[in-house]
Amino acid sequence: MSHDLYMKLVDLYAGGELPKELEDELKAASIGDKELSHEMATLRHTVDLLHSIPEPEFTEESFQRVLMSLYARGVEADPKITAPAHMQLYLPIAG
Amino acid sequence: MPNDALQDSLAEKRWLNALAQGDPAALGGLYEMYGERIFRYTYRMLGNRTDAEDATAETFLRVLRRSAELRADGAFRTWLFRIARNLCIDKLRQHKLMELPADAQYSGGEEKTTLRVTVQQALADLPVEYRDPLVLCDLEDLPAREAAEVLQISVPALKSRLYRGRRALRDKLGGMMEKK
Repeated sequence: MSHDLYMKLVDLYAGGELPKELEDELKAASIGDKELSHEMATLRHTVDLLHSIPEPEFTEESFQRVLMSLYARGVEADPKITAPAHMQLYLPIAG
Repeated sequence: MPNDALQDSLAEKRWLNALAQGDPAALGGLYEMYGERIFRYTYRMLGNRTDAEDATAETFLRVLRRSAELRADGAFRTWLFRIARNLCIDKLRQHKLMELPADAQYSGGEEKTTLRVTVQQALADLPVEYRDPLVLCDLEDLPAREAAEVLQISVPALKSRLYRGRRALRDKLGGMMEKK
């Protein structure tokens, strides 16, 4: 197999896109090939590390700030979710 | 189509029809459906909460302004991501906001936290043409066809950037890879 083809297979392997059969074949080929084995391990690990980055949290405060920004620009966006009590504004009671 | 996806698709169609009929309140429904995903994407592209909130609001504002272009044919999500992406690119050009998010919070042990911060930093240091496919495909789990449409490139071009991006990220992480 050519070097370029191996590299293409390694790219697919890293993203988990290779069929099981082909993945096993590639693993077998990597046993005696240090460079191939290194490529496979490091690229797969890179993808795993990417997946380990936690998702940015879309907090209630962020949700409401975006909504307020839309209101401020005259958009009557009206989601069903109501603002939590601590973010609601109260008008003074007229007496 | 799984039940949840079908429900989402029907809800999306309902909101898009309402928006097309000039009902501005429909934007709230679309914001409820997609606000979080757009925020996550813009946060990962811009690197901080304030800019991500601004970009999210601007994205939905543009949806309203361009509601005449809307098509309820399943392409809305792609269109939405494309608007958000263009806004991010503009913001990055204006401010060169490439640094680590100041308000990034990570839980877990110290070693794990350091690792995540390093990966996040390496990702932020990548050129946008590599970072974009990594964020869309590896982090947001968009199918390749949809990610390619967001970036307005072919699927083979997307895959090529994705693979080169992974290699570039691997090279940036350097020594960390050798430990494994």
